Amino acid sequence: MTTLMSEAPEIREQDLVPQRPWSKRPTSFWLAALLGTAVPLSFAGVLYFTTEIAAPLLLIVVYLPLQLVSAGVAGYVAKGKHGILDSGLIVFAIGSTILSAVILGSMLATIIARGFEALRPSFIFQNSVYISPSTPLDYGGVGHAIVGTFLIVGIATIISVPLGIASAVYVTEIRGRAVPYVRFFVQAMSGVPSVVAGLFVLTVFILTGVMRQSALAGAIAYAILMLPTVARTAEEVLRLVPEDLRTGALALGSTRSRVVFNVVLPAARTGVITAMLLGVARVVGETAPLLLTALKNDQTVVNPFSDPISALPTFIFDNVAQPYPDAVTRAWGAALVLMVIVAVLFTLTRLLSGRNSMNK
Amino acid sequence: MEETVIAMEALDAEIARTEKAPKQIEMSANGVSVWFGKRKVLENVNIDFPKKTVTALIGPSGCGKSTFLRTLNRLHELIPGAALAGEVLYEGDDIYRQDVDPVHIRLAIGMVFQKPNPFPSMTIRGNVLSGLKLSGLKRKDHDELVEQTLISAGLWKEVKDRLNAPAGDLSGGQQQRLVIARALAVNPHVLLMDEPCSALDPASTLKIEETIRELSKDITIIIVTHNMQQAVRVSDYTAFFLAEENQPGFVVEQGLTTEIFGNPRDNRTLDYVNGRFG
Repeated sequence: MTTLMSEAPEIREQDLVPQRPWSKRPTSFWLAALLGTAVPLSFAGVLYFTTEIAAPLLLIVVYLPLQLVSAGVAGYVAKGKHGILDSGLIVFAIGSTILSAVILGSMLATIIARGFEALRPSFIFQNSVYISPSTPLDYGGVGHAIVGTFLIVGIATIISVPLGIASAVYVTEIRGRAVPYVRFFVQAMSGVPSVVAGLFVLTVFILTGVMRQSALAGAIAYAILMLPTVARTAEEVLRLVPEDLRTGALALGSTRSRVVFNVVLPAARTGVITAMLLGVARVVGETAPLLLTALKNDQTVVNPFSDPISALPTFIFDNVAQPYPDAVTRAWGAALVLMVIVAVLFTLTRLLSGRNSMNK
Repeated sequence: MEETVIAMEALDAEIARTEKAPKQIEMSANGVSVWFGKRKVLENVNIDFPKKTVTALIGPSGCGKSTFLRTLNRLHELIPGAALAGEVLYEGDDIYRQDVDPVHIRLAIGMVFQKPNPFPSMTIRGNVLSGLKLSGLKRKDHDELVEQTLISAGLWKEVKDRLNAPAGDLSGGQQQRLVIARALAVNPHVLLMDEPCSALDPASTLKIEETIRELSKDITIIIVTHNMQQAVRVSDYTAFFLAEENQPGFVVEQGLTTEIFGNPRDNRTLDYVNGRFG
């Protein structure tokens, strides 16, 4: 009514609020999506309640393929031909993720549920001297096996990490003539069955009388298994260090060794730590080599040269096959402890390597 | 009164720099040819680099300028399959003689690369001092050295309050000046620069050009550049490289920058410096 005001361009109300025009979809899209999900889900639901087919089987054999097909149909309805592949891919990706999460999650849940029963301070801090498989859970623990695992994995790390990094340095920095052979050998080594590593140490070091069955012998077997993982991962991370940095260092009058120690390895530090962690993860649960090289011991052993020693995997192996429920629960408890140790170790190392890292 | 004296001195210096006054030769390439495997990429390059001057190497991409630059401090040999003929003299001696350690050569003949390459695991200060650590040189006055070289590289004012920050925090132009400071910290006699400004904005480029002019009072600089104006602005001498298709590169013409750009003898040079090809 006031003509003076109408001079200014009119501002539409919806222009003042943030919008996402790209996610606006027609009703047919939502309808197709709804039907595409509801049909296979209800079909599988009906089968679940009316037949005796087991739930996991139903999920994998009936529901997921059905969902894939119906997603394709829905995609065709909503977007035409290219919609088939799009929605099919999305459903396949989501479905596979859920499936692996369910499998890993149920394993994790079982370990936590069954292992928690055994967990108490005495279980962590005591050893198993005078404990028989039928002894109640209130007595005895895995303290000795925790010490054993740390001792064996620690020594194995000290042996294998320098060797692994050195071989990676040979491949990526020195680039000598034997590179193809070294790489082939490392690849082949990563396929060695763990029991063979144990047998090797047994025949070469123990039966010849060089050393007794002990933490050291177990650590050597572990180190053989760790080495290929550490070497390969370290090689990959050293390869990621830009060539510019190496030439830059050489142009400053650097020797090769100083390029490696002062430039390449520091630049790849986070990756080198990852290589070490992957090596530890590779062996920490290995049982077979320890059965041959470290045997078992109910006492807490701290001298890596002297006596047989138990570690968490061998403790689990010993207890899980016993006909006593308490022994089996101890095995689950030890599995839980092993898992927690690995998780804590990984988190700590990640935090430490992240905090001091110069490149953000 | 005093101002005029200073101005006169500056003028004299300017004249001395551009005049054909005989200068001491710091480096020279005599009949240098270069191969990668079987492919010959440079043929018979002969260039003298007088002491405390700036020489620009210009020419279209792929004509072997950068390769030639890398033969001057023995970085070329790091590439598998690399080969070389002819001699490169530094202070009268062939740097490719059998008993010469490339480490000493690279220490005396520093290099700045096209892409800034500060060491990511080190701080700004650590980068400046990295040359000492890497080459095993001993110097005590680290703080002074850091300040001096950063001032020479034109970066001191911007970073003096955060010397212990990671080098990766700097902008591209600052990183390039940081690696110049890093190269200067080992006190080289010659500085090779391989398109040092090609990844930088105009303001950073200008700063680096000022730095180059400033540095040339003390050291010999050889710079590869695709920027014609830059060659005119910073260099005393220019060499123009060219390569026909699938043929090795060669030097078409070389001489005073004023001559090459103002009065070239060869038509190809004339065309190139006027932007008609390349």
